[in-house]
Amino acid sequence: MDRDAATQAERTLAELDTLRQRAARRAHGGVWLPATGVATLLLASTALYATPFGDRYSIVAEHPFWAGLPDQQRSPVASYLFWFLGIPLLFSVVAFWYRWRAGRLGVRVPWRAVAAAGLGVLALLAVLAAVPTGPVPDGLTAGTGPNWEGLLTPLLPVAATVVALGWVERSRGLLASGVWILALAVWLCTSWPMGTVPGWMLGNDAGGQLAWRPGHYLVLMALPLLVTAAVTGVTARRAARD
Amino acid sequence: MTDNRRPHPATALDDVVHQRVRLGILTVLSEAHECRFATLRDELGLTDGNLNRHLQILERAGLLQVIKGYEGRRPCTWLRLTRQGRTALRAEVAALEQLVARIRAAGDDAG
Repeated sequence: MDRDAATQAERTLAELDTLRQRAARRAHGGVWLPATGVATLLLASTALYATPFGDRYSIVAEHPFWAGLPDQQRSPVASYLFWFLGIPLLFSVVAFWYRWRAGRLGVRVPWRAVAAAGLGVLALLAVLAAVPTGPVPDGLTAGTGPNWEGLLTPLLPVAATVVALGWVERSRGLLASGVWILALAVWLCTSWPMGTVPGWMLGNDAGGQLAWRPGHYLVLMALPLLVTAAVTGVTARRAARD
Repeated sequence: MTDNRRPHPATALDDVVHQRVRLGILTVLSEAHECRFATLRDELGLTDGNLNRHLQILERAGLLQVIKGYEGRRPCTWLRLTRQGRTALRAEVAALEQLVARIRAAGDDAG
């Protein structure tokens, strides 16, 4: 009798698990598009730098870092416009995408929370740094340690967007990608010159510097997003076919 | 050996939640922020009337929220799990898992 009850309970649990997986695929199968959108925005921002992949020993930068990373920009105003128009534009596309999916599949994703997180941090950035150009602040020099003024970068709203997206879509891959972008942005924007590695990590007093350029770091930031987008996209496509 | 001083896991099963269709409803809703009535009906292979009856029971228990609105000119009903509903589903699944573990452990002891 008890054995029958256990078998029945196990069968119920297995059925619930199958149902849950199917519902999850339906509800969260659309995450590949916003993830690809954010990755595209990051990769497109390489065009904002004077030498995104070359000139390894350049240490020219204008603060705030409107291009994203502390390196020479083609034009601070172009960088400013790129992010302040690009991020809201991305949210418009994401909103349209989720509305279309909700109409077609009958499940809604709380994308407004993602937009609120991204636009909220972007607005905060605009309030904190109203002037789009200026000299690198005193103290933001090699060996002086983290300087939090460097965090006036549009990469923070991007990181906040990805973390919020990972949260509402229950995607560990996206949550990890958001934390990765945040960690890279904090490290690169609070050290000067960009890519400085503290001495304690290298086992010497002087420390060192990675000979990478903004383009390389942006590819590094976008990579986990693209992998997550590819995996979720393929899974959703397979599920739709089955 | 099973611990007979502890209450049997079957006592933790909730009559409102334990019913098979209602467990299915809560499971589907636990994965979506909001789900359309017609989508849930098709997913579970139910009729409108049957699904409605179960939804009323779950709504009365405060486990889900029914949101009525329009899409264009067409009336449309969306369903959302409440926090209480999420907790109830988690407790139910945990109770079922404990039940299975306890019975299997008792069977192993006897064998």
